Amino acid sequence: MNDLERRYLRLLRAYPADYRRARGAEIVGTYLDLAAPEQRWPAPADAADLVRGGLRQRLRAAGVTDLIPGVRLAALLALVTASALAGVWGTAELHPPPVEWWGAPHVGPFVSLGVVAWAAWLLAAVVIAVAPSRVARWAITLALLLTIALPLVAAALDVLRPPLMVLLPQVVLGLLGLALPDRPSRVIRLAPALSALLAVVATEFLVGLDAVGTYYGATLEVFLPTVGGLLLVVGALLAVGLALGRDTRGGWTLVTLLTPAGFLAVPGLADNFGPAYGAITFAELAVTAVVVALAGPAALLLAVVFRCRRTSTPQPSGQPCPTCGARA
Amino acid sequence: MDTPLREPTFLILTALAAQPMHGYGLIGEVAALSDNRVSLRPGTLYGALDRLVDAGLVEVDREEVVDGRLRRYYRLSPGGETTLSTETERLRRNVEAATTRLSKRTRAALPTTPRTAGGLA
Repeated sequence: MNDLERRYLRLLRAYPADYRRARGAEIVGTYLDLAAPEQRWPAPADAADLVRGGLRQRLRAAGVTDLIPGVRLAALLALVTASALAGVWGTAELHPPPVEWWGAPHVGPFVSLGVVAWAAWLLAAVVIAVAPSRVARWAITLALLLTIALPLVAAALDVLRPPLMVLLPQVVLGLLGLALPDRPSRVIRLAPALSALLAVVATEFLVGLDAVGTYYGATLEVFLPTVGGLLLVVGALLAVGLALGRDTRGGWTLVTLLTPAGFLAVPGLADNFGPAYGAITFAELAVTAVVVALAGPAALLLAVVFRCRRTSTPQPSGQPCPTCGARA
Repeated sequence: MDTPLREPTFLILTALAAQPMHGYGLIGEVAALSDNRVSLRPGTLYGALDRLVDAGLVEVDREEVVDGRLRRYYRLSPGGETTLSTETERLRRNVEAATTRLSKRTRAALPTTPRTAGGLA
């Protein structure tokens, strides 16, 4: 056994043990057939392929083959939501309130430095519409990096930025959006850009009516939780609609959406959990965000464990489920 | 497995239609059939083969050990042959419909021969 074969066998641990015993030699043999004569290390793409294949096989063995399609559907809804929010915030950035209300100078003609991040998200929505998913993921990553860097850059330049409770759900939506399908249909690819366009038009209209303020007040405590609630309602309707056609991935979509919806609801949740008087403190927001960050993924994990225990695919006697470790 | 088939699945079934093949051979054949547009990696290929075996479209034909490496050959099952035929017929009808519409469009776009003023007189 040479070094390359040993390294492929090590990567094969991504697969369940039973599957490795049955198919490991065949899979590694094919990789070795494809390898260059002097190759000593698996190519990064081969490593990613093996890890992805192992994860799929574990999900398949656990009877949750519809988890990944469900997450991909959730990614599309997350991108639609992120694009709409970017449309709302980006438009609001163009209408700064008087300085005496705000208590701090604007960033040029804009409310804050947030305009850079919102522009990147709107650009990502356009890229999703016109480019392959591989390119779209780079555009989403750029928007994510700009959003994450915003607090540090704003602090360094001593300029205004959107509040963290606006930036945090955007980051979570964007991270989920990276799981968008490889070949979505044209209509689906257009959805984020269309939602952003509608949000821009609606916000511009509401600004004209003087019905939209800045990032604070009702914006945080009412608007964001309402968006989170709407996201869950859409996810639930989708799950029911798909279930009527015996398509179970909608259930996973709904459970996956709990995390971003929870982050959108953080200001509202913190307001309810805290004392009945006074403004929401940073500590209340931070604790609520940590609880959501733990509870959302935990709900998804619990759903996988529950499904794994109920799976109709029998595991060999005495063998634990390859995904969750549960014994039949 | 419902039609339409995804392109990699269609190409795997097409590759197996001629003769039983092992994983390495299938990867090369799928690349050749698609003019190197579809490049399957082993992890992806064996995942697809597992699903096709589960769906009853592909069967294990035989196993061989060549140069100390296990090679498992796969063949198209009768169900796989039916599915591939149905999908091929569906694609053929789509191609015919598109070709007909495109040729009508081309004819409509051709400029008509201008008539000489005053006719032949």
